[in-house]
Amino acid sequence: MNSRLVIPGELVTEKRMKLGPHVFVEKGKIYSDTLGLVKMERGVVRVVPLQGKYMPKANDVVVGIVVAEEYSFYIIDINSFYYSFLPKEEIKLPLKKGSIVSAKIARVNEINEVSLSNIRVLHGGEIIPIAPTRVPRVIGKNASMLKLLQHGTKCAIIVGMNGWVWAKGREENIRLLKKALQKIERESHLSNLTLKIQKMLSSKEADKV
Amino acid sequence: MADEEYRRVDGRKVDELRPIKIIPSVLSRAEGSAYIEWGQNKALAAVFGPREALPQHIQNPTKALVNYVYRMATFSVPDRKSPKPGRREIEISKVSGEALEKAIFVERFPNTTIDIYVHIFDSNAGTRCAALTAASVALADAGIPMRDLVAACAVGRANGKIILDPCKDEEDASDAVDMPLAIMPRTKEVVLLQMDGLISKEDWKKAFEFGLKGCLEVYEIQKRALKHRYEALARTEQKAIKAVDKQLMDAAESLER
Repeated sequence: MNSRLVIPGELVTEKRMKLGPHVFVEKGKIYSDTLGLVKMERGVVRVVPLQGKYMPKANDVVVGIVVAEEYSFYIIDINSFYYSFLPKEEIKLPLKKGSIVSAKIARVNEINEVSLSNIRVLHGGEIIPIAPTRVPRVIGKNASMLKLLQHGTKCAIIVGMNGWVWAKGREENIRLLKKALQKIERESHLSNLTLKIQKMLSSKEADKV
Repeated sequence: MADEEYRRVDGRKVDELRPIKIIPSVLSRAEGSAYIEWGQNKALAAVFGPREALPQHIQNPTKALVNYVYRMATFSVPDRKSPKPGRREIEISKVSGEALEKAIFVERFPNTTIDIYVHIFDSNAGTRCAALTAASVALADAGIPMRDLVAACAVGRANGKIILDPCKDEEDASDAVDMPLAIMPRTKEVVLLQMDGLISKEDWKKAFEFGLKGCLEVYEIQKRALKHRYEALARTEQKAIKAVDKQLMDAAESLER
């Protein structure tokens, strides 16, 4: 497996390959544009960043907060560096300022403004922020980590690709979930993470946490 | 005396840098940060953004703004420095910001601003280079896409010798020349070049060669600092991912049963 650590501007490969995210070409050579790990699979080269903000991408499911209402659209904060827009034709019932929604990103335009679709209002619950680069670890392969968290904490959980996790459940369960998420974020590079999380969620002491 | 044997006031050779130490991610509030010790110079760099540029009229729909703020602490110089940003600090902020703007992919983040704050705590000549070096490490630490890091280093002349990285005593020599230089090491593109004093064309060429060499040395230190911070993390992550994924699958299965 290819997994070299590269810094911005470092040579990734001199071979001709298809470009994935976070690489750029200069004079026929491929360089990394960020601090991350090189992945080469099926002729595609990409760099998986270790740090950074969420960059909106079409078809991502995100969790957001309604910030304002305009004449024909709502403005929704999706933890990116710009707000996103939800046209009112997408919804039947009016939204309230401050309510939490989950949505799919329909389109991102050239100045990174986001249009949302498939909106779903999430009643109650709260948002737990995590690092956007850690989202794949919270979901796990085939959503296995997510399933584990859902069963273990008996919470309803929606993980947004933007690094916001919506959760609803009893207070002590939410507290447990927060601890589990913190652990995943902090120790996502260590082995036996699942076992630790499983142990943590199933232990009797968990209620006292 | 030949250049090889010549020793400077602090015992360095003509082309020797002061010891440099860089530590990335030292501030948890900032999205990216770095601490640098360059000889006696000490500085902290913090990076925020990209974030929405406010007030709205400063936004540029074609690129991100780079807001570089260089400040010296009141206690960073022998006599107390007024905390009010002076002409010198404003100028350094401007030129350093423009230097970093060359390296960052600003066109990917329209209507936003990238804020970089660098504070100098202790100084002994060459602080703008130390600040720029730390800032570019902090940008990489924040995960901001860049064409290359920016490595900076000063070069000058004192007592008739071309010297790399002059210290304060050398800068105050009667024939002193001080030339801060910053490059993008991969292409050796110059992004910052200033000069104080008078120098002949031949000497300038020699000084520039010295400066390039110094910047490349600084680049190696930046690279090592970043890799050292993230390598251990990355190595274990690779090993763990496969093992963890398998455990996850098993755990999820057992839960479903």
